[in-house]
Parts: sequence; structure tokens; C-alpha cells
Amino acid sequence: MDVDAGGPSATVRLAFPPEPRLLGTIRLVVGIVARKAGMGAEGIEDLKVAVSETCAVAVGDLNRAGLTDPIEVDLVEGAERLGIEVRDHAPASAPASGGPRDGEVDDRELGLALVGALVDDLKTSALEGGGNRTSFWLRRDPAGLDLSVLEPGGPGLSSLDPRQDDLPPPLT
Amino acid sequence: MDLDLNVRKEGDHSVLEVAGEIDVYTAPKLREQLIELVSDGSYHIVVDLEKVDFLDSTGLGVLVGGLKRVRNHDGSLQLVCTQEKILKIFRITGLTKVFPIHSSVGDAVSAPAE
Repeated sequence: MDVDAGGPSATVRLAFPPEPRLLGTIRLVVGIVARKAGMGAEGIEDLKVAVSETCAVAVGDLNRAGLTDPIEVDLVEGAERLGIEVRDHAPASAPASGGPRDGEVDDRELGLALVGALVDDLKTSALEGGGNRTSFWLRRDPAGLDLSVLEPGGPGLSSLDPRQDDLPPPLT
Repeated sequence: MDLDLNVRKEGDHSVLEVAGEIDVYTAPKLREQLIELVSDGSYHIVVDLEKVDFLDSTGLGVLVGGLKRVRNHDGSLQLVCTQEKILKIFRITGLTKVFPIHSSVGDAVSAPAE
């Protein structure tokens, strides 16, 4: 995973057993990495929510499948943005969340909606040999977007389309 | 990481002060507290989120569950929150239209019943 094709990048890789109590630790580490990478306060909070929600889904899937395989989280520092990839080895046949509890909403659906709203270029795919890969990225400073593109004669909004600098194929 | 809960009465309302992080690990504790309040006859609940550092979708689900439980008794569940990072979670999920969100406990307990 390279968030800035051709540019320098550094990857921090975390691995943890699928235990819900460790999600707070993951958020803590992710927050520290993002802060050291120069991400702003709002971006850090968005990142913590997105990573935590993604990892919570993986924890749930692995727990339901009775597996203790570690979940892997890659944080890739690029010049302009931070890339995230979460991998788990829950089988594709692992049953879904089992639905919401009585009187509640489906928090899995809510979680996916949250992640989708907070990040750019959210992608999910199946891992070869079983498992799931989820990747996305966040700009280091969402407030620092160059709005000059919107000025008369500028290149327009299309120049901000994140699809124009797609992530290269993820690592297998 | 832990979740601290403190309940007090303010007039007809039970004020549940929450401190810490609400996620898939800690949310069951919040769920149990809300169920206990309703079981004890507290149908007008104010959940104070001012000391909450993190809120995820499981926590949102628990709050929605609490709201449905009090509404079964013609009650109310209101929130107190001024933290932008927490409010953002409610806005993204559209739950600002579901929960009355106030800037202080005083505003919540004095708000007219809906």
C-alpha cells in the first residue's frame, strides 16, 4: 500500500488478537502515529473512529467464527495523506452480526456508514485464502485543501477527485 | 480504558453522567445501566456525554435502544453534548434528528416535553 505513488512513505504495522478490550489501545496507537505524522486534531479523531469501527467488525467476525488469528493494521504515511489497511482472517462464510439487539439499531450498518462518511476511497475485498481486507485513506489536513481550484479559470472540482490518485494494488 | 457511570436525580429526570470511551467493549455497561433505570421506573433520562472521549456505532445503538425503551413508557431520553467530535458522529448518522441534544443538563431538564 503506497499512498503517494513515487513519493516517500513509511509503514507502521500493528497486529492484535481479536479482543474488544484492545480496541482502545489500537485507537491510542493510531492517534499517536497520526499526530506524529502531522495530522490535524479533527483528522486524528476521524481516523480513530474509522480504524476502530473497521477493527470492531473484524473482531466480531473472528469471535463469531471462533478464531483468534491476529488482526493486522497498516498505517502508511504519505506526504499528503495517511493510508490505512486492515486485514483479518475471518472466513467469508462467517455469519453476519446476527442483527441488532431488541430495540436497537444495527450498529454494524451504522459503523459502515460512519467509516464511509469519514474517509476517502474506502475499499473492501476478500483475501486470498480467506479473510477480508479494508483500505482507505485520510488527508493529513482536510482543512488545508487548496481551494484555489475553485477560482475563476482554475481547474475546478474535478482536480480534487481522489480517484485521480488511486491507491496502487494492495499487498497480498 | 474504562467507562464511568454516575446517576443522580434532578427533579423528574434521572441524569446519567458518562465518562470515558463508549465502544463495543464498554457499551454493554451503558446498556445495562439504561435498562436498570427504566426497570426502576425512570422514564425521563438525560445522558450527559460531556466527559465522553470516544463514541462508536455500538454506543449509538445502545442510546437508540434506551430511547425506544423510555418511549414505550411515554418517556424521554435527551442528550447533553457540546463536543464537536461527538456531535459529528450524531450528525453523520442522522441521529441529531432523533435525539434532543442540549448544551447543558440544566437546558435538558427544563426543556419542554416533546
